[in-house]
Amino acid sequence: MNLFRSEGHIGRWLGSRASGATISVTKLCELAHAWWGNRIEPNWRPRTREQNQAILNGLGLTDAFWDLSAADPHP
Amino acid sequence: MRYHFAMDDDDVALRNLTYRQFVELGHAPTVHDIAAVTGATPDDVWASWRRLHDDHALVLQSHTREIRMANPFSAVPTAYRVFADDRWWYANCAWDAFGVCAALHVDGRIEASCADCGDPITVHVRDERPDDEGLLFHCVVPAGRWWDDIVFT
Repeated sequence: MNLFRSEGHIGRWLGSRASGATISVTKLCELAHAWWGNRIEPNWRPRTREQNQAILNGLGLTDAFWDLSAADPHP
Repeated sequence: MRYHFAMDDDDVALRNLTYRQFVELGHAPTVHDIAAVTGATPDDVWASWRRLHDDHALVLQSHTREIRMANPFSAVPTAYRVFADDRWWYANCAWDAFGVCAALHVDGRIEASCADCGDPITVHVRDERPDDEGLLFHCVVPAGRWWDDIVFT
């Protein structure tokens, strides 16, 4: 989960490896605030997978790459 | 990926105390730090941390009785440093770097580098927005496999 200057830098860094998902740093910042914003609240409770998926989906991260249920043996 | 429906209330309370101590100290607490605050034994704290680790509520070192990650915070030095709330923090990755500002509910400055060329990258976060919107984030591991090896992810 890294930062890059441009698509060209990502492509060069990946080389022959399969690409994952690329989002803008603006979207990343939105995601971080939605995901981590409650992390040190005194009454924090763990979220369900469905709640986490709703955060991703709410930011438009809806394709298979962002599917938390994939390969999940303990749904 | 394991999910947390069975996480014990006492373990959640210890997890919340552990996070609070992390933020107050500016670094990861030890089992002895938490034992001193709670009155529990270090072994009891460690047993709770082990269960929390299994539930992905924090990440422990593999060979020592220490915290490796209390996401978004890292207990060990990384390439993602964040100046926020008048203190430097390490984050586990680019996502977590923004997460440090999010968790603390403050503006901040992220110091990192392009993973390809190594050029320094500085991003200020103000009012929950980055000041350099041209940067990109790339994640190699699909979401369903993030916890297969969270350190690699």
